[in-house]
Amino acid sequence: MKIKEANAGALTNFEVLGFLRTRGASKDPTRVIVPIAPSEFKVYDYLVESAACNQTKEHVKEFLERCKSYKLAKAEVLNIINLRPSALVEIDPIIEESEKRFGEQLEELVNLVVEVLPEPPTQKLPEPESNEVKEDTMDGKNMDEDKMETVTVEQIDKDQIEPNEDGEQIVVS
Amino acid sequence: MFYLSLIEHTLRLPPHILHLPVDEAIKSELETLFLDKVIAKLGLCISVYDIRSIKGGFIFPGDGASTYTVEFRLIVFRPFIGEIIVAKLKESDASGLRLSLGFFDDIYIPAHLLPTPSRFEAIPNTRNQGRWIWDFGDAEEAQSEEPRFVIDGSDPIKFRVDSVIYPSIPLEQPENSKPFAPMVITGTINYDGLGPVSWWEEAEMIQEDE
Repeated sequence: MKIKEANAGALTNFEVLGFLRTRGASKDPTRVIVPIAPSEFKVYDYLVESAACNQTKEHVKEFLERCKSYKLAKAEVLNIINLRPSALVEIDPIIEESEKRFGEQLEELVNLVVEVLPEPPTQKLPEPESNEVKEDTMDGKNMDEDKMETVTVEQIDKDQIEPNEDGEQIVVS
Repeated sequence: MFYLSLIEHTLRLPPHILHLPVDEAIKSELETLFLDKVIAKLGLCISVYDIRSIKGGFIFPGDGASTYTVEFRLIVFRPFIGEIIVAKLKESDASGLRLSLGFFDDIYIPAHLLPTPSRFEAIPNTRNQGRWIWDFGDAEEAQSEEPRFVIDGSDPIKFRVDSVIYPSIPLEQPENSKPFAPMVITGTINYDGLGPVSWWEEAEMIQEDE
């Protein structure tokens, strides 16, 4: 076996997901019929839960066009497309020397990401049968994160709702 | 995370699949050979992307199978240093964390690459298991009932790739050691924004309240 080119091109998660989908991978249990190996399905399962599952070619193209002015390194662009950071604190580890290179502009970049790339899938609502109260609170918080425009008032309302949910669950289970 | 690699390989097609069209037969042989295997310096092979060229088809004397020289592209999983990946917690013990991506399990975060200061709280009556807690903030908070920053596997963990090594195949292995891992990723979560996703949602909310 000869390696002709170890690096013939980097792929975003979105492209790999698209490739697996064209071969017939999907979430439903028709898995035995399609010509995809179980190990490939594991990759599919991972990608479908990441930020890549809602992206389309248009999104990615538009983002690439509009982020040219920020002069990001190729690795940084790849990370951003794969992760879809929606907050300053999320984009910080991706960009090296963010203060020196960007300072104020970092927030613009975050807004650009949020505007152009679609949201990752929201977390599933907690099942009524689950007993883990802590898990429910975590899921609630994740849903807030995905809604993005976290206004303080909405936060308080959500917090007030959560105890009620727990109450309902006790009744149901 | 994923790269395309161009590979050339001399492939022997066993006689029992010679009734299939050539490209299908070659694709299935390649998949059996490469899928879910690690190639040193290349990474974990995920999929055969496409076949560029098929040459040959010679039959060597004394052999019932035909041999082809195939040029094809593979999708390989090979994270680069500095990449940020989201993974789930698989194990946690005194030497650090072990994370899993579903299709790849050998991701280790050693104790010295956890956010400082962190401490390990062992679960009583188990050999080595426990959970890691990040002691952030003043001492009073750390002593409170439920520490704020625990790594307990309830939500996915973001980490940054520190290094990717391909240890060479050992000649002999002692009985109880872990199965050989041909590719090991070492990561770090000692930075803003890394670690369990829920840690940083709290940080955001605190900022909003201010």
